[in-house]
Amino acid sequence: MTDHGHDHDHERTVAPMVDEITDFEVLEIALRELCIEKGIFTAEEHRRFTEFAEQIGPTPAARLVARAWLDPEFKKLALSEPMAASKEVGVDWMEPTGFGTPSDFTAFEILADTPGVHHVIVCALCSCYPRPILGNSPEWYRTPNYRRRLVRWPRQVLAEFGLYLPDDVAIRVQDSNQKHRFMVMPMRPEGTDDWTEDQLTEIVTRDCLIGVALPKPGVTINVITQTRPAIHPASSS
Amino acid sequence: GSQVKRNAHHKHAVGKGDPQVYAGQAGEPMFKVGDTVVVRELPVVFYTRTPEYVRGARGEIATVAYESPAAEDETWDRTDAKPEWFYVVRFNMAELWDGYTGTADDTIQTEIPERWLQSAT
Repeated sequence: MTDHGHDHDHERTVAPMVDEITDFEVLEIALRELCIEKGIFTAEEHRRFTEFAEQIGPTPAARLVARAWLDPEFKKLALSEPMAASKEVGVDWMEPTGFGTPSDFTAFEILADTPGVHHVIVCALCSCYPRPILGNSPEWYRTPNYRRRLVRWPRQVLAEFGLYLPDDVAIRVQDSNQKHRFMVMPMRPEGTDDWTEDQLTEIVTRDCLIGVALPKPGVTINVITQTRPAIHPASSS
Repeated sequence: GSQVKRNAHHKHAVGKGDPQVYAGQAGEPMFKVGDTVVVRELPVVFYTRTPEYVRGARGEIATVAYESPAAEDETWDRTDAKPEWFYVVRFNMAELWDGYTGTADDTIQTEIPERWLQSAT
């Protein structure tokens, strides 16, 4: 078992979860502990925000859209008082602080697609996103690539997502560069007559709510675009 | 911890929200929906949230959005900054970008505080 001068059982020792702590993790711990020590925020507040961030996701937004498709009165509310409509699907934009989250604000607007206009959102300056109702932003949404190109070549970027829009549909890019946060309300697709709210909710994916995809019967997950394999892959095992 | 100097922001908006906490403080909005405006070429020192791609461009007011201090003041915690009106402004892509390859009806909307806008008429 062991021949290096002591007799504990290495096989029974709990292995560390990671081989090495990264610089980022070291700095995160240092910053968090200093803030708590200096009273900038408490450990309890840190836990509360973490739990808030872990329970958000795109489901309430999908339900909001499905309900608006089924109920014209609710659709009116969603477009005129989007934060009141959010409450109907369980999202209170004033949480978790009593004045909203510090970075998402409380100026929410829903952009309704029409037969002639398709909306798609971006934050060219950073990654502003309607987190309380849509959850955390996808990694690609935060990349300089998406932010730089969507404002200039929206049709090409959407095509890379597999979304080809005809020329009689105008694209409207919404750059969320101040306190407003935006979400897209796509049009209800064909072939969904008699569907229940639950069925409709399932096809309104996060990507549909950003505007890089359209809801489609049978498609209940985000788009996975076809990409060419790397010519020189990092590892060729 | 009680001696740490804090900004007051985390308390004054409770129960109202931000930007609702600034409602009624900016006076009459200078522009209304449908007005044509031009984005001014203001000097930018250290910080702005008005994108470079719309500077000097002509657009149309799509929404009279809300009142708030401009980000250029808020970012330095200038609590004495007067709130102003914000507008969602719509720009035509084909006019904005040289050699735009989409359609003539494609648009982009971005939000701009009043100080950056002047009437185009």
